[in-house]
Amino acid sequence: MKVSVVRGGGFAGLVTTTTADTASLDPGDAEALRAKVGRVDLTAPPPAERGAGPADVPAYKVTVEDDGRVQELRVSESGLTPALRDLISYVGSVPGHEERVE
Amino acid sequence: MCCFIAPPDLLDAVLESGNEDEQAAARRTRQAAETARAQRVSVTGALRQLALTIADVAPAPGRVRTVYDAGNRGYYALPGRRVRGEGDPAVPDEAVNDAYDGSGLTYDFYREVFGRDSIDGRGLEIVSSVHYERDHDNAAWTGFQMIYGDGSGRVFRKGALTKAIDVIGHELTHGVTQFTAQLVYSKQSGALNESFSDVFGSLVKQYSRGQSAEEADWLIGEGILGTALQGVALRSMKAPGTAWTTAAGGGDRQPAHMRDYVDLPDDGDPANDNGGVHINSGIPNHAFYLAATAMGGNAWERAGRIWYVTLTERLRARSDFREAAEATVAVAGELFGADGTEHKCVRDAWRQVGVLDG
Repeated sequence: MKVSVVRGGGFAGLVTTTTADTASLDPGDAEALRAKVGRVDLTAPPPAERGAGPADVPAYKVTVEDDGRVQELRVSESGLTPALRDLISYVGSVPGHEERVE
Repeated sequence: MCCFIAPPDLLDAVLESGNEDEQAAARRTRQAAETARAQRVSVTGALRQLALTIADVAPAPGRVRTVYDAGNRGYYALPGRRVRGEGDPAVPDEAVNDAYDGSGLTYDFYREVFGRDSIDGRGLEIVSSVHYERDHDNAAWTGFQMIYGDGSGRVFRKGALTKAIDVIGHELTHGVTQFTAQLVYSKQSGALNESFSDVFGSLVKQYSRGQSAEEADWLIGEGILGTALQGVALRSMKAPGTAWTTAAGGGDRQPAHMRDYVDLPDDGDPANDNGGVHINSGIPNHAFYLAATAMGGNAWERAGRIWYVTLTERLRARSDFREAAEATVAVAGELFGADGTEHKCVRDAWRQVGVLDG
């Protein structure tokens, strides 16, 4: 399972991509990642607030690839659920994750 | 300072297609707007001749700052724990004091230079939350308040986002835009929204340091970059596209001219940046830099005033680069005389970045 988080918006406006792949994580961390993905409902995403006005709130795209199946979720800062925050934070901090800034 | 609910294009539509009564009402509305604007221009002009600003003759009731500690929690927990209110002494937490001081400098800039009383022009409380999330590499205006992350050290240095006065000026200006032109945060109107935030963010820094256009660095977020980015700042108004690079070959993608405009979709994918709002803002940013440096002196006095009147009185939610360019040229002529130096500098600037022909 591979989880990618793309962040954008805010003051920075940078596009930052963090990726964690169970294939390159310690077994315990890989299990934790799967558990955190399991707590996020990828099929019923909270509505992304697009074009909502002048506010520059950050935005996120979370992509989960597992056994050839790809699920994607787009959400603004204000729409993050506790489970999503936890997953995003884990993908950006687990040993073995990758980070790219554009 | 007041703003008008009915945008000019709505009035145009009524004047074209409304019945007789509606047309008469639209004409009265337009005349009232023009009269009020002329009065404001003459009042600020008279004060300037006396070397005064509105701040010298009227109190500043609206400088009400409140800083909260978000406690490394997220959006759901905003604003967090109240730590410092207006007039309270400094606290041990440096980020709190930085946000307090920076919003004060921004308030004073708008008040003293443009006679504007806070974000909404009516003394709106300025609310900031620091320590947003954990190691968060961003700052934002939520529509109600400002939020500041601590920075991870990789993208932004820890503590840098509240230290940089132009970051705070940038965020507060999103609030000013929300209460005035309401530029939609998408494609060209969104890039204008971003650019006005960079322009006034930079002017807050220049004003607070007493720097002329020649002395200013024209950088946004100078010195805030962390270890993953190599460069001097996050953006450069002087030389868009040159501010930073990464070891992996990434870098500042801002164009300085319309021929390099990056046409991205606004599809909710953060990689597309609401249709390139932080990318193409390089073009109007550079136009402001060119106009201000061509005029010389303090950028907030003439170029800044032209951009301020344009933002607060002329633009509409879907204005594009060309409309903004034409509006600033018109405002420069009205405020400082047709075919004067300012008028010419503004027109030349937009021509140099390829937004206006010629």
